Amino acid sequence: MRDIEMSYGKYVVIYLILIMVLIAVFVISIAVGSVKISIWEVIDIILNKVQDDSVNSTIVWKIRLPRALASMIGGAAIAVAGLLFQIFFRNPIVDSYILGVSSGSTLFIALLMLGGVTFGFSTLSPYTLFIGAFLGAICVTAIILIVAYKVRDIATLLIIGLMIGYLCTAVTNILKTFAENEKLKEFIIWTMGSFSGFTWDQLKIMTIIVIPFLFGAFMISKPLNAFLLGEEYAKSMGVNIKFFRICIILVSSVLTAAVTAFAGPVAFIGMSVPHIARLSLRTSDNRMLVPLSILFGGTITVLCDLIARTLLAPAELTISSVTSFFGVPIVIWLLLKRRTKL
Amino acid sequence: MKMLETRNLTVGYGNKEVVREMNIEVLKGQILCILGPNGSGKSTILKSLSKLLNPLKGDIYIKGEKLSDIKGTSLSKTLAVVLTERLNVGFLTSFDIVAMGRYPHTGILGRLTKSDEKKIWECLGMINGENIATRYYNELSDGEKQKVLLARALAQEPEIIILDEPTTHLDVKHKLEVMSILKKLSKEKGITVILSLHDIDIALKSCDRVMLVKKGAIVDFGFPEEVGSNKSISDLYDIKDAGFNAFLGTIELSNQSKPSVFVIGGGGHGVPIYRLLTKKGIGVNTGIIHKNDVDYEIAITMGLDIQSETPFSEIKDATLEKAKSMIDKVDTVIDSGCPLGNINRKNIELLAYALESGKKVLSIRDKDELQRCLAMNYLNLKLCDSVSEIMDNLDIGGEGSKW
Repeated sequence: MRDIEMSYGKYVVIYLILIMVLIAVFVISIAVGSVKISIWEVIDIILNKVQDDSVNSTIVWKIRLPRALASMIGGAAIAVAGLLFQIFFRNPIVDSYILGVSSGSTLFIALLMLGGVTFGFSTLSPYTLFIGAFLGAICVTAIILIVAYKVRDIATLLIIGLMIGYLCTAVTNILKTFAENEKLKEFIIWTMGSFSGFTWDQLKIMTIIVIPFLFGAFMISKPLNAFLLGEEYAKSMGVNIKFFRICIILVSSVLTAAVTAFAGPVAFIGMSVPHIARLSLRTSDNRMLVPLSILFGGTITVLCDLIARTLLAPAELTISSVTSFFGVPIVIWLLLKRRTKL
Repeated sequence: MKMLETRNLTVGYGNKEVVREMNIEVLKGQILCILGPNGSGKSTILKSLSKLLNPLKGDIYIKGEKLSDIKGTSLSKTLAVVLTERLNVGFLTSFDIVAMGRYPHTGILGRLTKSDEKKIWECLGMINGENIATRYYNELSDGEKQKVLLARALAQEPEIIILDEPTTHLDVKHKLEVMSILKKLSKEKGITVILSLHDIDIALKSCDRVMLVKKGAIVDFGFPEEVGSNKSISDLYDIKDAGFNAFLGTIELSNQSKPSVFVIGGGGHGVPIYRLLTKKGIGVNTGIIHKNDVDYEIAITMGLDIQSETPFSEIKDATLEKAKSMIDKVDTVIDSGCPLGNINRKNIELLAYALESGKKVLSIRDKDELQRCLAMNYLNLKLCDSVSEIMDNLDIGGEGSKW
């Protein structure tokens, strides 16, 4: 009994540390770049809302702050989406990227950008992009879900997800082949996946979509916990399985789509962050893991974005190439360490 | 009080009927055990009773209410399950798992109140699992895992618990422990327990009602003492190469070989020899054993030819003569060293007859006792210290006596 009471104190300390680390990484990522700004100046510019014509305040407010915020919120969103997918498929190495959900989004964005499909919208607004990405994500998830009813084996399901992902990529490539050069360039830059050039408008839309769904993910953490024991146990405890299945899929698809629409597909954050969260507190309680994934997802993505734009500056790497360096070792390590199953 | 009742219930998947026309009744505090071979539909029945599977035909009533009309949350406060599926729950401790059982009782975020926590510890206490509360579930032994899952079911505060093969994968200690916990729950807390088992013996001894399922139908339902006869159990599992003894609760391999050895048994001394010979595929006759002897029960379960005598009466001459004629047909006689008292003294005559007629005789009887009983030394008598030594000498064959 005392053990359990003591661990609450431990959780509070860990949360405080994580929040401080997130803030620190956030501020550093704004300070570091081709133009170096001191940390104190960054804090001063943000807290006092200095918006004069000075170079530094322009860099902070126009470029780095929206970018850092976008990568933080985006990272949090895909991390939580990954967590939900992992629970739903009861498999530790899935996320929206691996399951092909991101590829679905990419395909629909390609239809929008290259194929001239407008879904009834006249111009390519951020909303159109989001709706396209969302439809793509939902389509792929729905296909996987339908297959999941027939196929109980998780490995098969995973491979089917991969295959659907390849198929989406194939169709995307066909669209690319016939696309106009101008549009193609725009699309390729988008697919490379990056938080660069995030505007406040885009950020606003992403935030408005992401925040309620992150909150939603937290609110369903009790049935998510029940899902850990499998659907039959969950059902026997009174969980409305059909409803929560849809809930989980909806929340994770929206979160994936919101990020993919604006930042392109981001690899491995969704897969690795939930594991980092689990290992950090050695718990699988989703009431802990949802907030932890948000904190870790935000911190790690901001850090990866910082690395992506500074490592080989002035050239900028795609976010996925950095996150892959984070994620791949974790996947391999998880596979090797299969004995203590996560 | 009727806790669970089925009326013309047919269960199965899709359009495949697995078990048809079930009509059973389980009362408060009863333990009902479903016995049947693999694939007979035990799990399908249990899943249907716990509403994890919709019945194909007929109805299930829980406390008089139709199961299909009971909402998920209120059902989960009446009925809890322990499934066979192996769980992988990552970093969840035993306490966390048991706490999951509070699901129907907690609020939207599942926050545990003091009384919830007290209940969880109480459930952990019932399975003697306080000491494993903070350990990770995945790191527990199979037995401990099963107990934790049972505690989780208890934490729902159900009136009925349905368990699918709760003792499979467990060692003897945990098997008995799980069963004794279930018995305690049914007798002290009045919880109705419905479970499937593969341990016929445990089932017959610890359950109040037994249901035999075979080939899509309920073969029998009732008191284990009545339902669990030797024949019904052997038939249930289509056992051909072995026999089941409900009286002793044991399964014995059948000995179908042509008898080449006669064993003088009694008082349980014959059993290890029968088993050894059966294992080696050597056919056995045995005698002269009283019908109230444990050797008799085992021998008859194995299907041996037995020369037996009515309980508590002295061996009759006619019986002795029959036993002698059995000895005539074999090459070797084994004296199990059974105690010789007033009513089975004639076994000495049988032993002497075997020696006189030149059969190879192996005995594990005390040397002094033998000398007192027999008139002379025989070269064809070999003394052995143990059953294994008998086997050694049996294999070597006819070298004659060394004493």
